[in-house]
Amino acid sequence: MSAPPKRRAAVTGIGVVAPNGTSTENFWKSTQEGVSVLDRVTREGCGHLPLKVAGEVRSFDPSAAVEERYLVQTDRFTHFAMAAADAALEDARLGRADTGRAPFSAGVVTAAGSGGGEFGQGELQKLWGKGSRYVGPWQSIAWFYAASTGQISIRRGFKGPCSVVAADEAGGLDALAHAARAVERGTDVIVAGATEAPLAPYSMVCQLGYRELSPVKDPARAYRPFTEGACGFVPAEGGAMLAVEEAGAARERGVPVRATVAGHAATFTGASCWELSREGLAEAIRGALAEAGCAPEEVDVVFADALGVPEADRAEALAIADALGAHGRRVPVTAPKTGTGRAYCAAPVLDTVAAVLAMEHGLIPPTPNVFDICHDLDLVTGCARTAQVGTALVLSRGLMGSNSALVLRHGAVGAP
Amino acid sequence: MTRRVAVTGIGVVAPGGIGAPAFWDLLAGGRTATRGITFFDPAGLRSRIAAECDFDPVAAGLDGEQAARCDRYIQFALAAGEEAVRDSGIDLAGENPWRVAVSLGTAVGGTTRLENDYVLVSHRGERWDVDHSRAQPHLERAFTPSTLASTVAERFGARGPVQTVSTGCTSGLDAVGYALHTVEEGRADVCIAGASDSPISPITMACFDAIRATSPNNDDPAHASRPFDNDRDGFVMGEGGAVLVLEELEHARARGAHVYCELSGYATFGNAYHMTGLTSEGLEMARAIEAALDHARLDGSAIDYVNAHGSGTRQNDRHETAAVKRALGHHAYDTPMSSIKSMVGHSLGAIGAIEVVACVLALAHQAVPPTANYETPDPECDLDYVPRAARERKLNSVLSVGSGFGGFQSAVILTRQRERTR
Amino acid sequence: MSDRITVEELSDLMKRTAGVAVSPEELAERPDTAFEELGIDSLGLLGIVGELENRHGVPMPPDAEHCKTPRKFLDLVNSTLLAGA
Repeated sequence: MSAPPKRRAAVTGIGVVAPNGTSTENFWKSTQEGVSVLDRVTREGCGHLPLKVAGEVRSFDPSAAVEERYLVQTDRFTHFAMAAADAALEDARLGRADTGRAPFSAGVVTAAGSGGGEFGQGELQKLWGKGSRYVGPWQSIAWFYAASTGQISIRRGFKGPCSVVAADEAGGLDALAHAARAVERGTDVIVAGATEAPLAPYSMVCQLGYRELSPVKDPARAYRPFTEGACGFVPAEGGAMLAVEEAGAARERGVPVRATVAGHAATFTGASCWELSREGLAEAIRGALAEAGCAPEEVDVVFADALGVPEADRAEALAIADALGAHGRRVPVTAPKTGTGRAYCAAPVLDTVAAVLAMEHGLIPPTPNVFDICHDLDLVTGCARTAQVGTALVLSRGLMGSNSALVLRHGAVGAP
Repeated sequence: MTRRVAVTGIGVVAPGGIGAPAFWDLLAGGRTATRGITFFDPAGLRSRIAAECDFDPVAAGLDGEQAARCDRYIQFALAAGEEAVRDSGIDLAGENPWRVAVSLGTAVGGTTRLENDYVLVSHRGERWDVDHSRAQPHLERAFTPSTLASTVAERFGARGPVQTVSTGCTSGLDAVGYALHTVEEGRADVCIAGASDSPISPITMACFDAIRATSPNNDDPAHASRPFDNDRDGFVMGEGGAVLVLEELEHARARGAHVYCELSGYATFGNAYHMTGLTSEGLEMARAIEAALDHARLDGSAIDYVNAHGSGTRQNDRHETAAVKRALGHHAYDTPMSSIKSMVGHSLGAIGAIEVVACVLALAHQAVPPTANYETPDPECDLDYVPRAARERKLNSVLSVGSGFGGFQSAVILTRQRERTR
Repeated sequence: MSDRITVEELSDLMKRTAGVAVSPEELAERPDTAFEELGIDSLGLLGIVGELENRHGVPMPPDAEHCKTPRKFLDLVNSTLLAGA
């Protein structure tokens, strides 16, 4: 008797709500062209704050994306998540009838780094400005980190495993890995990813404490990792959701497997201990490659974390060299997030989307605003580079000390 | 070969029971720790009662720097973590740090601190364009919920996967469940797992007021948390934290550790029904129980005790009774089921881990904690709820269940002697 | 402000506190349609009750949050306001 074939987690659908595009097509167009959309913060009540530059999602109309009641009952981060989940499931051709046949085999996983901060500020204002009886019924379900997972599960009728990783940046990759493992254990499809909406006045005040935040007011110079001008990172909002599906189930439905989630590993080396992150990130890369059964030389592109803090950039460049050996100096490395900013947990999810698209298009997108690299890396700058991309490595580190690495393979892996 | 997961250490900070011995004393005695709120002036609120911890971080073993820097919910996790690590006898300095993981849950994280600073920067709710110059240092640590697992990982030198889980009121069960997967599937050999929350704040009390979920029985706080009782009128807010040291079984045996029990099964499902509402059938929670039994390779008849979510809201206790009956069949009627929320209140994300620790202690003491304040049966809640006093009983496998806003339904199983029933 | 809640006021409350748009005409024509069917769930009705209590300064009876239809809700709320006037 032969063992049943290993269940594999495949990406079959993509939904994006990003500062540089609110559809996968627009996102990819801006990303591969290397367009930077970093700009002055325009959201209401934020103009006077010292955090001047961010990646805002300006072309998103929530009233066109979700039913009117959600505009009142949920926060912006949930609007993004619901819209991205819808797009991912539509892209995967997973309609209600498909998932409705086996609702316990369809789940939701999100990562959240700040929850419904704008909504919460509004209710805090009612409480402290007018009195506790002015706090509305939606505060109990809109502010907390689990809001998006819960709303998507209900809206789509998904009764499978539902999870929320409340995380720093690296949690975006952990959420995708979490979904992949649930698929490997037996769930057929998980819609997974992260969206963030941290550009509200009080949320921005909370972020001012990050010493890694860029103080530079010129959008073109504020976020330039791996250069002598590196001065910190620029925050962003938005994110992406992916349909992560069992490869065999996708095949049966006749839906193409766009990429396979082949390996993941996570480590921890302490908040803001960037020198130590070298070892932690290298260990995560080794773990992810081992799980994927992937030799270092097979990696065709690295999507870097690219924090933009000199010691962190140095640690990352060294970690890539430590883990990939001589190949680490040859492999193309890119960081398209310099054109959009870092949307916390959602940043590495957007990188994962870009990695899938890079594999499909045979094109490595560039790192906007970045020239004159001061590290021993082949960073793709200026314009996109044509390349055969069969394996992508996505890296992320969080401000609270997490390191995470994800290995993606183009198309299906180990298919009969 | 399947890796099995042992519980080798426990620690807890619960209202009326700081430290595992005091906590078990409270439960075994059927005493309640619910009272009028003392943390702030609750005038104007509909529910003005809670189960508060009389917690002194320095007395609980934290140093002055930790006490000053960390939010209260993180202090709970550090104190419970110290107790659990000490209890397990593990020498973490001698472990491979990349093989030590952390998985901690919280529902509302740093919101108490966020509210305090909000009051300053907004001039008490006057301004939308808040004044950042009035914010206190390190506010970002309250903004980011992963501060919880990060701080605990730093304290214990863990370098493996470090996760904060936030699935509302099932966060504690889910954090323990994720830890089980992490060790069982080989990503770590040791995991510091648990949960923590300190939600007794104006905004959190007000938001549950707004949906009438909390008990308005302000005149009799000691008897306000009444799970399964016909006169129940909502849950009583609580706070606290609990931590377990989980180890791969052979790893624990190799160092001669005391093994309390094994963490044998876990599952979670969504009800896809309503963010706060529950069906009367309990189908999805029943599915979670069945899947956790499958994971543990146990039949329902192997369950000797059900540690209920038992929040004391009208809908929850019926939903849960139906779910347990659906999953365990007639065996449900022969199985004691109790809610410790009757004594320690409902500490949102923390309570699942506190309840898992209660289950570990129940197995260790071979006794079932009671449901305090249970007096008048509800015709729709017709199981054995262990009224008022703890009961001695032979226990081998116990089940803890939970429901959370967002539709989460989770189940965890602990087993003392692993003799597979199938 | 009148102490009687009209369908216009209820329609406005539904829109503002729950994001559910049902015109006053529709509410007047079909007052026995269940709130659930109109898109107002238990939390939505609690929000409307809370808003009315704040606006009129009187507590609504506990049954208000359990009313199944606009007609029943308006009858109960208006009898309460009338009694309190």
